Amino acid sequence: MTSVTAAAESASKTAPSSKKPRRFLRGEEITAWWFVLPSFALLLIFVFYPMLQAFVISFQNYNLVGSTRSFIGLDNYKSLVTDRDFLASLRHSFHFAIVVIPIQTAISLGLALLIQKKFKLTGLFRTLYFIPVVISTAVAATVFKLIYNKEFGILNNVLKTLHLPTTNFLSNPDTAMNGVIMLGIWKGVGFFMIIFLAGLNNIPQDLYEAARVDGATKIQQFFRITLPLLNRTTAFVVIMTTIDAIKLSGLVFVLTSGGPNGATETAVYYIYKMAFQQMQMGYGTAAAFILFAIVLAISLVQMRLFRNAEH
Amino acid sequence: MNRFASIAKYTVMTVLAVISIIPILWMISGSLRPYEELFKYSSSLNIHLFVPVQPTLANFKEVIFSEGNPFLRYIANTLFVAGSVTLLVLLVNSMSAFAFAKLRFRGKAIVFALFMSAMIIPGEVTLVPNYLLMNYFGWLNSYKALVIPSMLSVFGIFLLRQFFAEIPDEILEAAKIDGASMTRTFSSIVLPAAVPPMITLALMTFLGNWDSYLWPLIVINDEKKQMIQVAIAAFSSVEGTDWSKILAASTISTVPILILFLFLQRYYIQGITMSGVKG
Repeated sequence: MTSVTAAAESASKTAPSSKKPRRFLRGEEITAWWFVLPSFALLLIFVFYPMLQAFVISFQNYNLVGSTRSFIGLDNYKSLVTDRDFLASLRHSFHFAIVVIPIQTAISLGLALLIQKKFKLTGLFRTLYFIPVVISTAVAATVFKLIYNKEFGILNNVLKTLHLPTTNFLSNPDTAMNGVIMLGIWKGVGFFMIIFLAGLNNIPQDLYEAARVDGATKIQQFFRITLPLLNRTTAFVVIMTTIDAIKLSGLVFVLTSGGPNGATETAVYYIYKMAFQQMQMGYGTAAAFILFAIVLAISLVQMRLFRNAEH
Repeated sequence: MNRFASIAKYTVMTVLAVISIIPILWMISGSLRPYEELFKYSSSLNIHLFVPVQPTLANFKEVIFSEGNPFLRYIANTLFVAGSVTLLVLLVNSMSAFAFAKLRFRGKAIVFALFMSAMIIPGEVTLVPNYLLMNYFGWLNSYKALVIPSMLSVFGIFLLRQFFAEIPDEILEAAKIDGASMTRTFSSIVLPAAVPPMITLALMTFLGNWDSYLWPLIVINDEKKQMIQVAIAAFSSVEGTDWSKILAASTISTVPILILFLFLQRYYIQGITMSGVKG
């Protein structure tokens, strides 16, 4: 009994003082550090230390096979900016981004608008649209390889039935990227539909009611209310798609292995090829750092945009 | 006019839904066909493009009991890795999320900022040094390389911290008065209150690991230890002609995930919404 009251007393003493933000309780502080420690250790060992390492390695000629390393200063970077294959791989990544961004954004916003209003089958349609997101990359790419097949692929059957020319997208360097793009959109649209849906649900309904009272048409409502208020969401979707496109690798690995003739080789594929097939760790890492600089720049733009959007 | 608009709307919705799932339905139906049949009905559009004429389970049998490519084994490997990662992610990251949400300690702001800044470092950039680190630890070709670096989820910390912050301080104070230690308070009050976000994080982590391709491709060389995605990709390039078996293998690796998703989709979608709202 006494111990309980004693504990209550000491608690009532510490409780008000704990409201002060500047006071740190020793016990609490030690516990807190123990709670943070495991993830903080992981962060330091597997994120920040490798990041530092990457920085150092990118200035080295580091060949894993002969295990030779030597410091070569900016040579890796200098060769990279004139390396036609590397520049081509960056171009492929951006090509993917530039085509995918408008199409994917439009479709995912369209889908979100279609299923926004609740009716009986909303849930079913939302699930159906979302299923490609859950299908794993390797499976999706494998199945699409067959879908694109010229003789028996289902896509060419549809084209044939519609009396359109058939083609095997993946064996022609000019069209192979389109094959990757179609798969990318098919797999990505559902994800961004959900993001748009969340954005749409944040728009206050009374704005639409007011607009209706004023006699605005549906189309006017969309361009005057929906789109401007979705600014933030749209910016997020565009930036995420760009970053994903720059980091694109899995689809390409399985669908085309970078071919035909390197036509679908993306930046990450190039890094993999350099570092793990040709064992040029330093060169591959320098390429990865250039990639990081690009992603960082896009992220900074993103933060800037969102800060402005808040005011 | 209104009626016309709604018919048009439903038509568009149905067409898009069909495009979304046709590849998957086709994969499943193809996996149930004998090889000779797979392309027999593909020259024109008809019902047998999707409905097998002579349904068979032979493809599954061959894939599952194959000596060279034991797909059940790859699935077991992947279940083991993805399962352990998921459990560890929940434990490790909920602990820090709790500390960031409810505890006071010096350096909290800086440490938290470090975590958040890690969000812009793509895993692709640290691929080479992390591989060298695995090599140095002697973890290549072992599941340690797949599990231990994956235990950290900065997004998980961010997500859980939001939920933990909403738990009223009074409840935690009351637990303290009753003499509960911080660990006790965490495990019997905070965690049970956060079941939905924990399911969200668990599902995202599990699916993410089920899908992982590049990292297992790099660190695992022993075929018997390989993950399902790498196995499928390798299978389809080796057995390039035996499409029935490829479809069966893809179906085996997809159906469990699809079922898991259908049951828990609410949580998964919640997680995506969170990542979008964050901005």
